[in-house]
Amino acid sequence: MGSYPKPKWLLKIISDYKNGKVDKKTLDEAYRDAVKAVVKDHELAGVDIIWDGEMRREEMTSYFAERIEGFVIYDEVRVWGNNYYPKPAIVGELRYKENLAIDDFLFLRSITNKEIKIPITGPYTIVDWSFNEYYPSKEDAVYALAEVLNKELRALVKEGATYIQLDEPAIPTHESEIEIAKNATEIVTKGVNAYIGMHICYGDYSRIFPEILDFKIDQIDLEFANRGFEDLKMLKEYDFDKDLGFGCIDVHTRRIEKKEEVVNAILKALEIVDLDRLYVDPDCGMKLLPREIAFQKLKVMVEAAKEVEKMF
Amino acid sequence: MKIISTTVGSYPRPKWFREYLRKVEGLQKDIYGKIDENVLEKAIREVIEEQKRAGIDLLTDGQLIWHDFLAHLATKLDGFKMGKLVRYFDNNLYYRVPIVCGKIKRIGKILNDFEIAFKIDKNLKPVISCFTLAKLSKNEYYDNFDDFVMDIAEAMREEVKELKTEWLQIDEPSLLYATKDEIEIAKNAINLISTKEKKTILMTYFDPADKLLPYLLDFNIDIIGLDFVEGFEENLRAIKEYCPEKICIGIVDGRNTKMESINELKEKTIKILDSCQFKEVLLSPNTGLEFLPWQKAFDKMKIVVKLKEAIKEVV
Repeated sequence: MGSYPKPKWLLKIISDYKNGKVDKKTLDEAYRDAVKAVVKDHELAGVDIIWDGEMRREEMTSYFAERIEGFVIYDEVRVWGNNYYPKPAIVGELRYKENLAIDDFLFLRSITNKEIKIPITGPYTIVDWSFNEYYPSKEDAVYALAEVLNKELRALVKEGATYIQLDEPAIPTHESEIEIAKNATEIVTKGVNAYIGMHICYGDYSRIFPEILDFKIDQIDLEFANRGFEDLKMLKEYDFDKDLGFGCIDVHTRRIEKKEEVVNAILKALEIVDLDRLYVDPDCGMKLLPREIAFQKLKVMVEAAKEVEKMF
Repeated sequence: MKIISTTVGSYPRPKWFREYLRKVEGLQKDIYGKIDENVLEKAIREVIEEQKRAGIDLLTDGQLIWHDFLAHLATKLDGFKMGKLVRYFDNNLYYRVPIVCGKIKRIGKILNDFEIAFKIDKNLKPVISCFTLAKLSKNEYYDNFDDFVMDIAEAMREEVKELKTEWLQIDEPSLLYATKDEIEIAKNAINLISTKEKKTILMTYFDPADKLLPYLLDFNIDIIGLDFVEGFEENLRAIKEYCPEKICIGIVDGRNTKMESINELKEKTIKILDSCQFKEVLLSPNTGLEFLPWQKAFDKMKIVVKLKEAIKEVV
């Protein structure tokens, strides 16, 4: 999907780096080694399309905001309980400053022959999760950021990227702004010659249908397992003419799914789209799971997918 | 006309306290950890000092151990258990849905943190909620919503009776979306809680209260709090028409780090003050300040204070 549990030794080295105990060179080497480990896990599990597990990303908003001109991060704000995130603030014109995922992509390309999917947090979500001090409206800020991200997507394609996933979990949270998200998606993908997926987790999916079907994307990727696959019923009501990214592994529980239940779920998804338009994946990033459990879950997912393929 | 600057309730936790809570409670907390009262006292003292340093007249305790707006109240009452996380209105802030599984009863002090704060400074207003707590909860016990709300009200009444404060604030953002029948229920509840001994503020935020305002005039409350950031035009029209005697003007944006220009705010506030003859006015951010980073919360309070000074020159 995107994120994968970081090896414990990497967490130790990141913390040592923050405390000045190891240098940048050691940290970079650790990141690269961690990516190799993640790739190996995915290869062993048999996953077809992979990413690097987001070893370098600590958070899906601030990671991008820190690398785009016009953002600052003052401090953390609360999400719930004792959970906080470094909420960025837009304080100036948003401009492309440095590569966001190109280096990660090129490194991954150099160590695997697997097909690669690059997740990038979408402009609507980044703006929704930021303060806006500069642009007259949220809409203006979203479009400005969409232009910046478009530069990155174009550059990625130039480097050989073929599959990019826009992560937009914030879209269902403001029903009235779906048009803004749609326009932003058009800007981000303008002139980008690659397969585009959009991943949306959390929230009430009835708020994005049917509008999401008009987005300029090839694939809609949603979480289903965590919701007992209830939303498949809703999808049936529409003329679902995109590819379906089918989240069939629950990342919020440590229970490892049984192969049969995943097979049954995939068969249900095939009532919506044909086999060649179905992508099976975990509901969301797996970073909060223990690594061994994440690995086992991936394995079950792949075994189930293979079994379904055999049936056709 | 008297003008009092105030904060609305929540305040960002000092960084060290944030880390302390993470240490004693963890991230995915389900139950309250063992918080050292001296540590909590120190954190509350710091938040009170910040407000004083900014020049705020009427202070709050900052709700520093409220894990969300409902949990602190719900976990102190008998009858609630805590459910899953849900988005808190249109904010990137989540709360656990309280589930009512038995008769609501007050079994002890609810605002234990306020009590600590009140020992530090007497110029403090406690914040509670009643209708909103009921509305955002999941009812698996009561046959009718009326009884549920009134049992919470009774618990709050008992709590308020023990508070030795001059002020009381009741936050009711859910009232903005209430039906006529629900408003009637809320009125009975609030009337049960409010007492002549305390100046009572009923606070609304996140949206304009123009439709609610005529009903609020019949509530036994002293001051109506309105969000003039999210609903300037609507609320202005409403106060022109219904002319409440005392209001709290939530005019400084408590949810964005952008610092407003004092002149712009002054112009807006004067429009509000000119719209009817107020006996008393409170000036505040529209919401609690916990949506902001620590330093920005202070800067926002400074804006409230500067705005009050700018207005005093003209009224």
